[in-house]
Amino acid sequence: MTELVRLKDVWKTYDVGGQAVHALSGINISISEGQYVAIMGQSGSGKSTMLNLLGCLDKPTSGEYWLGEKDVSKYTDGQLSEVRNLSIGFVFQSFNLLPRISVLANIEVPLFYRGMPRSLRHPKSWELARMVALGDRALHSPQELSGGQRQRVAIARALANDPLILLADEPTGNLDSATSRDIMDLFDELHQRGRTIIMVTHELEIAAHANRVINLADGRVLQDSLNDSTSPGESTPTPPPQPSEDRE
Amino acid sequence: MKALNKAADIMLLGFSSLNVHKVRSFLTSLSIIFGVGCVIASLAINAGASSEAQKSLRELGSDNIIVNAIKPPEDSSSKGGFGALRYGITKDDVVRLRDNIPKVERCVVVHRTKKYALANKKRMSVSIIATEPSYAEVARVEMQAGRFFHGRDTLRYKPHCILTYSLAREMFGHIDPMGKLVCLGKKDFRVIGVLKRLPRALAGGASGGDRQVLIPLSTDEAVFGSITSMGTQGSYVLEKVDVHQVILQMADEQAVLDGAQVARSLLQRFHEKKDYNVVVPIEEIELKKKQKRIWNIVMLLIAGVSLLVGGIGIMNIMLASVTERTREIGIRRALGAKRGDITVQFLVEAVTLTMVGGLLGIALGLVTPVLIEKFLGFPGVLTTSMLWLPFAVAVLVGLLSGIYPATRAAMLDPIDALRHE
Repeated sequence: MTELVRLKDVWKTYDVGGQAVHALSGINISISEGQYVAIMGQSGSGKSTMLNLLGCLDKPTSGEYWLGEKDVSKYTDGQLSEVRNLSIGFVFQSFNLLPRISVLANIEVPLFYRGMPRSLRHPKSWELARMVALGDRALHSPQELSGGQRQRVAIARALANDPLILLADEPTGNLDSATSRDIMDLFDELHQRGRTIIMVTHELEIAAHANRVINLADGRVLQDSLNDSTSPGESTPTPPPQPSEDRE
Repeated sequence: MKALNKAADIMLLGFSSLNVHKVRSFLTSLSIIFGVGCVIASLAINAGASSEAQKSLRELGSDNIIVNAIKPPEDSSSKGGFGALRYGITKDDVVRLRDNIPKVERCVVVHRTKKYALANKKRMSVSIIATEPSYAEVARVEMQAGRFFHGRDTLRYKPHCILTYSLAREMFGHIDPMGKLVCLGKKDFRVIGVLKRLPRALAGGASGGDRQVLIPLSTDEAVFGSITSMGTQGSYVLEKVDVHQVILQMADEQAVLDGAQVARSLLQRFHEKKDYNVVVPIEEIELKKKQKRIWNIVMLLIAGVSLLVGGIGIMNIMLASVTERTREIGIRRALGAKRGDITVQFLVEAVTLTMVGGLLGIALGLVTPVLIEKFLGFPGVLTTSMLWLPFAVAVLVGLLSGIYPATRAAMLDPIDALRHE
């Protein structure tokens, strides 16, 4: 399978009161198309930094980050904005929907910044709302929705520009267990349809949905293991990249 | 095309976010409303005043030097015949002025008297203005009906008179006054004309409201002489004034200015008391222009300060808005908004705020001509450029004061912004 993400000796160093603190110390990771990866670690392990780097919200101090065919580690702010818009779909723990506009308008935001004309945005966002089973709620404001519904809106929004990777940060962190299950089912379904998913979590239960778990500690990869037991309907992936279905 | 589409969308976005804080937005744009309204009002007053000044110059005549007799401060020195108070311009003065000032085209003399008029079975007190035929050209007299005096009227001491329009109405109602007789003092005068209204030059200093009757100067001298009884506070004081007003029409503007100097020094030499004044319309216009310039500067300062305050208010509210919406900015950045997109969104918001204020300010400004007319007594003048120019300045203020908050919003770090509570 095609390699989608490659981190080559990535360091992230912060200057804290004149002292260099390494949040990431020489990370090497390769993620291929269609993989469902959970990134785990204690707080302070560097997983947030990792997520920000993978999401192109931040740049590594040194090293290379290949996303698709491009090394984005030296990109300018504007270029990174474009990468975030077209190649990355974010799902946050706190949903991060815009409160004052409708569900539909929220889903449209990435299409909007891509420059898609209104006439095309509309049918597309309706389609996405129906995909996450919120067709009947499309014109409501996010504040009128339940937590699970909000997260489904966020997922629909993340998929709007058909990104290379879906990046989820504790997507069930603010949800009760029943709703969490629904959301994880949705991720599983997306994975089965060939979506590449990278999920940061500290819950083993959630990580169990992934077919690969990367454990971070002190800014290094502690463990990178395949996880075939809990992913039903998943062909057994063999070390490094080897996932299954094609992307739609 | 794509970029254009996006730009239009972002503008709509900036526009729509004002909807959320209607009251706050309105309060913020208040200073802009007043700023723009104030500028428009001052421009309207200015233009109105200057057109008014030009009108009065046209009426007084820019090529005229006017010398008026004025009653000196109360003191009973130089008594004329019959114990009458003697003051004002003498016939010698007139000759001196006419012969010593270069480039005098015409010289007209006016003498006033108060008499009772009897006509159409009505008796009323009128002021009689005696003057010469050339007065018509010098003071730009406009006739409602009939004609002004001819040289013949003067030569033959004709008992002719001209009424002002309002007096004609008062005396004769709807009857045509032409050819009717009006008894002034003890003599009958025939009405040969009606003035549209009293020329400005005559109105100055004339008492008796608009009840004015014009008669030929020669007739006046023959019939009434130069002694006038003037009623002051119930008691009659006899006054002897040869000439109440001399109007010198000059060849050109420079002659007016030079002539005024000569006239002043001539009169000073022969008058112990200041029982005259010299009015030079051009000089007055120059003075008014100077006063207007000061007024302009003051108004501009006020307008500038209110727009500055408005701009600061907008900057303040935009900074608050940026802080309040840090998370929104973070979300938008994460979803692909570039720095420029965020800048434009907030700039549009700031500009919209001033545009709304500017439009309301224009509405306020449109009312000003009515208020000016009511309180200042002359019509305010509004042109389209007086409306859009202050508006454009206000929008510029919005743009300038939006730059800093918008840039601050755009420069926020997406990660920090997303974490913001």
